[in-house]
Amino acid sequence: MRGRLVVYGLGAALIGVGGVGLLRDAADTRPAGWLVWFAGAALAHDLLLAPLLLAAAALTGRIPEPYRGPVRVSLVLAGSVSAVALPMVLGLGRRAGDPSRLPQAYGVHLAVVLGVIGLAGAVAAGAVRLRRGRSHRPR
Amino acid sequence: MVRGPRPDRLIAGGSGGRATVHRPRPDRLIAAVRRLGGRAMVHRPRPDRLIAAVRRFGGRGGDERTAAWLGIGLGVSFTVAFVTGLISHFMQHPPGWAVWPSRPVGLYRLTQGLHVIGGLATIPLLLAKLWTVYPKLWQWPPVRSAGHAIERALVFPLVAGALFQLVTGLFNIAYFYPFPFFFPAAHYWTAYIVYGALLIHVANQWAKVRGLWGGKDAGGPATRPMGPSRRGVLATVAGACGLVGLVTVGETFTPLGGLALLAPRRPGVGPQRLPVNKTAAAAGVTRDPAWRLAVTGDVTRELSLSLADLRAMPRHVVRLPIACVEGWSAEATWAGVRLRDVLYAAGVDADARVRVESLEARGRYRTSEVDPPHWHDELTLLALDLNGEPLSLDHGHPCRLIAPDRPGVLQTKWIARLVVHGP
Repeated sequence: MRGRLVVYGLGAALIGVGGVGLLRDAADTRPAGWLVWFAGAALAHDLLLAPLLLAAAALTGRIPEPYRGPVRVSLVLAGSVSAVALPMVLGLGRRAGDPSRLPQAYGVHLAVVLGVIGLAGAVAAGAVRLRRGRSHRPR
Repeated sequence: MVRGPRPDRLIAGGSGGRATVHRPRPDRLIAAVRRLGGRAMVHRPRPDRLIAAVRRFGGRGGDERTAAWLGIGLGVSFTVAFVTGLISHFMQHPPGWAVWPSRPVGLYRLTQGLHVIGGLATIPLLLAKLWTVYPKLWQWPPVRSAGHAIERALVFPLVAGALFQLVTGLFNIAYFYPFPFFFPAAHYWTAYIVYGALLIHVANQWAKVRGLWGGKDAGGPATRPMGPSRRGVLATVAGACGLVGLVTVGETFTPLGGLALLAPRRPGVGPQRLPVNKTAAAAGVTRDPAWRLAVTGDVTRELSLSLADLRAMPRHVVRLPIACVEGWSAEATWAGVRLRDVLYAAGVDADARVRVESLEARGRYRTSEVDPPHWHDELTLLALDLNGEPLSLDHGHPCRLIAPDRPGVLQTKWIARLVVHGP
């Protein structure tokens, strides 16, 4: 119990350091704008992203069983890579005169990665089906 | 109906998600919670259908053990990010008592690579964790006691802050700044809030983490009445994190450079085969044939050196990386004069510090400080050549600093003056 109290104290102190720092460094941190992004990140996840994932859950729930797993795994991988790649694909950070910044064809590269994921998913689904067919074959 | 007695009660007690399907008697439930060591949570979920949908996805939504394993992963990754982030911050803003070593040469390259690539790989991990605990957001009643209210209130800065750090970090390495704050300041202070909230959360959830090893439930078939196995879910999440790392880590770990398909930088791409962060045009710097390097401040004799003077001094060739705060790094071959040779020629104390000033008229990184460990290091050069050619203007012509174990923003370009001052 004492250990827990120490950790609570440490945690509260760190939160205090962060909060005070944000306010004292207000010229750079813009606390009002910071709060919009801070709270907005949680709200965007809880009220937008999570419901979207729920919709994906409901939709993929209709896929028949041997294929559902591989499809869902592929979607998780594809979604993760796409989320990370999105700012690069949009290329909003490109600057004229600095071609070494965001130098790649990110849309094409993302398509390649998604294609590989899709292919691997299809192979996995095929393997599952093959195995299932074998185990169901009468002796 | 498949029924693993304990996990069912565990889930009912933990999140309330199962309570409509299988409602154990209160005493059994409380006993189960006690055994787990968690706080008693006797409540019924409200949007039952929503929770059922979370379960239907099969991502083991509401499963305490999955959440605990993902939590361990997040605890590790946020600790690495916090520590490496502090290293990067204090390298750039050294407190008076700390002196950073100039060796090992690639230390900053490693810590910042861990910070950025580890942060990217944490994105799927955090989303998976939030997915498994999402039903708790809608638990009913929302609060059951003052203690529970505080506990829930502190989950907000944890979730909001963790998302904030990953989103702003990702946008920053993509050079996309839609937010009103200066990224390093906001990211730095928010890190304390997130890590403080994380410590409190870990203290509250510690019993569940310990329960991973204490319980008899080995994750067998009895625990999977629907959806995939816990192991399958965790493997999928690990795969997603690994894949994100695989397609980006090549921007700093050169052997995997060919796989850096989605990284914002490629090590060999740029003028003289090296990426540029700030161009001369952006810095407002042009070529000046009358350029001279001034060495001034606490020196025995002030110097004013032309490019020809510098070229006449002993020339040294070093192989050093530019290691950017944004996580990419690239090695290059630099040639020029040792900073210490120039300082000795001017006559300085061994414990002096040097402020390197750029031709840039403005900008946060117009100057940088070089402490004794770095300027004494034989690898620290006033570089004149890069990869066998004179520095291009975008790389800092006529003269730039290159030192080991130092963030790229402190490798000052277009040097105009060296100002020596006391310790």
